[in-house]
Amino acid sequence: MLSAPALALNIFVCEPEWKALLAAHAPKATIYSATTALQDPHYVQARPSLIAKMRQADMAMCSGAELEIGWLPMLQARSSNPAVQNNKQSMLYASEIVSMLDTHHHVDRSMGDIHAYGNPHVQFAANDMIRISRVVSKRLESIDPANAFSYLVNGVKFREHWRKKLIEWEQRAEPLRGKQVVSYHETYRYLFDWLGMEQIADLEPKPGVSPTTAHLQSLTKLDPASFDAIIYSSHQNKRAANWLHQQTDKPVIQLPLTVSKGQTLDELYDRVLDDLLNVLVEPVKD
Amino acid sequence: MKKKLVSLAISSILVSPAFANTLSNPQIGVVLDGYYQNGERNNSERSEGFGLGHTEISMSANIDDKFHGVLTTVLETHGDETELLLEEAFIQTLTMPYGFNIRGGRFLSDFGYMNNQHMHSDSFVERPVAYRTFLGSHYYDDGLRANLVLPTDMYIKLGVEALSGSKMSAVDDATAVGVYTTTLKIGDDFSESSSWQFGLSYLRNENGKVTSFEEHDHSTDGHDEHDHSHASAVTGTNLYGADFVWKWAPNGNYKYSNFTLSAEYMLLDDILDSKFKGEKDAPDTLAAYYVSGVYRFTPSWSAGMRYSDAESYDGHAHGDHVHLTSLSDSEIEAMVAWDSSHFGTVRAQYTRVENQDKATDNVFTLQYVMTFGAHGAHAF
Repeated sequence: MLSAPALALNIFVCEPEWKALLAAHAPKATIYSATTALQDPHYVQARPSLIAKMRQADMAMCSGAELEIGWLPMLQARSSNPAVQNNKQSMLYASEIVSMLDTHHHVDRSMGDIHAYGNPHVQFAANDMIRISRVVSKRLESIDPANAFSYLVNGVKFREHWRKKLIEWEQRAEPLRGKQVVSYHETYRYLFDWLGMEQIADLEPKPGVSPTTAHLQSLTKLDPASFDAIIYSSHQNKRAANWLHQQTDKPVIQLPLTVSKGQTLDELYDRVLDDLLNVLVEPVKD
Repeated sequence: MKKKLVSLAISSILVSPAFANTLSNPQIGVVLDGYYQNGERNNSERSEGFGLGHTEISMSANIDDKFHGVLTTVLETHGDETELLLEEAFIQTLTMPYGFNIRGGRFLSDFGYMNNQHMHSDSFVERPVAYRTFLGSHYYDDGLRANLVLPTDMYIKLGVEALSGSKMSAVDDATAVGVYTTTLKIGDDFSESSSWQFGLSYLRNENGKVTSFEEHDHSTDGHDEHDHSHASAVTGTNLYGADFVWKWAPNGNYKYSNFTLSAEYMLLDDILDSKFKGEKDAPDTLAAYYVSGVYRFTPSWSAGMRYSDAESYDGHAHGDHVHLTSLSDSEIEAMVAWDSSHFGTVRAQYTRVENQDKATDNVFTLQYVMTFGAHGAHAF
């Protein structure tokens, strides 16, 4: 090691997946996540405790693409912290690195809460994690040059491990290819894209608009052969999924939105694959 | 090393196009607010019948890497006339060190909890009678503000403002800089599910003390039919405020259900010149407060109750002496709101108004508040 830090880096992240990612690159840093796996990242209060955390941050990382538009700009402004303003090296958006899906040239709010920059739920953009890791390493190196070498080494280790896991996951997920599901809010757009699964309908009538009775009724008219399961996320209301389950007898899968406390990013991916394989293929042995 | 720089440059070129669009353009947003009501609340900007409320056009953008700029215009209609008001036109620093930021221009004062928030994010049709009486509904003015956020885990913010004070002036020969405020805000989380904020405010009004009354004219009542001046109904040299807000959502997930409790207390002091001290009903201090609770029970429905009370007075000259009358207004309100999305709200509100003579009035309002274009982030 070249030198120890005078003070550990203080990092603010909007979602727990970025805490997990950054912890792998900067294990000594103090990382605070603004949200948990049970909270919808669109609806967060720009509350005093978050402003106080933002004020102290040396670096911040968020998903971006307007996911946090209802609260992050308020935190940036109120924190009076130059390090977390847009276009600073120390303010990092994952969606600026990921190859975004569902970008729109024309956005009208009658289409629901969609984002011109594409679907912002990028925590399962598996292949892009390599690129994100590279940028994260570089940014950490420039913010904290004294520890640049350890960020470089940790980044290389993370990517090496991730590449191995990608091969393993893709082999395990082979039986999931072509599976069709009904899901909620296109939260798993990147996951399904990666695994070759297809979402044929959404429990929400339009992105960000809560399931309505009329819309759910229309889903019961779907050809039963056209989908294999109903998938929703840990922070979403389970009523709509359960209702459709009762009507159609299709299995319901609740997937985690993001890492749970202390979980690493690859453990999250392991868990998600287990959950999918358990129901869609056959129970996984522990 | 050189290779690293080149790859950084390339990656930044690759990522920029998606965001270029918003970076080069100001955020432009419009708020549409219309209503019908079968009566009128005291000191209110909204009259009986059909009307438009706070129609807002706002623009904001980062000016460069050091300054942010905001312009908010409000269109108000009174009868056949349409007024264009400039509510905000300020610049704010982005990159000052040590947690400082400075704002200059016209802006909403940081006094109290609700005053610096935009009206379209309110849960009720109008500001509570406490605000309408003491702050002219919402107090904005020309001046300068400096804020300091301390680097602590508990949120601590200190602020000072110097403002023209012309809206709160009670005298003819007012000083050029009439109002100074100082505020303290602290806040934190109780748990993952609930958060709080507490504030103390002090507003010094150099021109707040009333030194003379006009003959038979309601000089202290700035809001009769023809004068929607946004002036405070009552003024004094010192205004003290305390505010508290508590928000709760299961697991901190605000989408499906949440509850907000807020309360503010204001005390106005040094209201009349000492020559009026002996007069009957001469107010020494005046107090106002409100308590409000709003519960969101589904993503699209919420309901709330609010109670507000404000003391004031009326005075006019009668030859060589003055006539003073103590006034009070209290309002108990209930509202139900339906959100068509994050951008549209339709609200029904019932207000029971009671004044100093225990005379009551019932006001029912049906209102919509909808926004299009850019929609700024909301404060806590």
